[in-house]
Amino acid sequence: MKIAMINGSPKLGKNSSSILLRILETLIPDEHEIAHYALNKKDLTPEQYSELCRMDTLVLAFPLYVDGIPSHLFRMLVGLEEYLKAERQNDIYVYVMVNNGFFEGKQNHIAIDIIKNWCLRSGLHFGHAIGQGAGEMMEYIEKVPLGHGPLKNLGSAMTTLANHIHSHSSGESILISPNFPRFAWRFAATHTFWNAKAKKNGLKKKDILRRL
Amino acid sequence: MKMIVHDLPPQEFAALYDDKKEDVTVISDNGTIRKCTGCFGCWIKTPGVCVLKDEYQNMGELLARCDELIIINKCVYGSYSPFILNVLNRSISYILPYFVVKNGETHHRKRYPQYFDLSVHFYGDDITEAEKETAKALVAANSVNFYSRSYKVNFHNKLQAVKEALV
Repeated sequence: MKIAMINGSPKLGKNSSSILLRILETLIPDEHEIAHYALNKKDLTPEQYSELCRMDTLVLAFPLYVDGIPSHLFRMLVGLEEYLKAERQNDIYVYVMVNNGFFEGKQNHIAIDIIKNWCLRSGLHFGHAIGQGAGEMMEYIEKVPLGHGPLKNLGSAMTTLANHIHSHSSGESILISPNFPRFAWRFAATHTFWNAKAKKNGLKKKDILRRL
Repeated sequence: MKMIVHDLPPQEFAALYDDKKEDVTVISDNGTIRKCTGCFGCWIKTPGVCVLKDEYQNMGELLARCDELIIINKCVYGSYSPFILNVLNRSISYILPYFVVKNGETHHRKRYPQYFDLSVHFYGDDITEAEKETAKALVAANSVNFYSRSYKVNFHNKLQAVKEALV
């Protein structure tokens, strides 16, 4: 079957969605034909919209933005609905990987519901979704073997997702937090992520806290 | 200050809301808004201000002056419409990158001491029940993450009903 891997992250460099898609691809049998799409640099062309209408499977990977879907991805989905209504001929199944910057994967459930509503409007089958917490951690732990340590839950969830994609089957959403203590994640996020990134820009903590 | 963020063409909005007496800031779609690029610059480079230079880069500061935020937009798949989403994506400088735990969930910390009341008007003539439930959950979650003092969600079949609700 033809599978479109759509990276819905707006970031230009490495991002958690690209890491998750790369991992997922290793779990999908070689017999499937995989095409890649990204929305971070340019909008999709009309030809690319039409290509998506001829896929058997769409995999959407994106970060949670303000409890929902990033606006640039959302605009694409709105546009794609029109193409799908005009051009789709086969059944298409949709699978989703959402990651958020909070710790709890359950905070992704609204974005998943929005995609389910989009599927209904667009005439697509919603297959299965993973909602992952602490998405920003992926860049730091991507070398940890999947299914081990902090990626234990994710490994299990992604194997299930890959099986659903392979068999075009459906299942309940899996909302997961990393296998890592929340207090340790919060400490690392504060000091080795936010404060360290601000320091590289010559800022101190009091600068981050400023009010205008 | 009251702030209205809407996705309507200028003439339609003018027909809906023409009260010029109040202290109101209106955020409209003039076709120039840039997408959030996920750079976090508004937190760790120019705290409080988006690094993208357009008319929407000061959304966080505007929210900080706001005691009432009204959003008027088409309900799309149980979400805000694309322009409103874009504005909200560009508004995260209103909060801080740091985290707090509230009711067992992590959320970003507040940057500003004040609060605003949030009311969201979704219009559309065929909004499904599932979309309404999703939209209610979305606004409730936004209310937590943006620290609104209260929130209301309204659905309208016609724009005229929005006008009546705004009076």
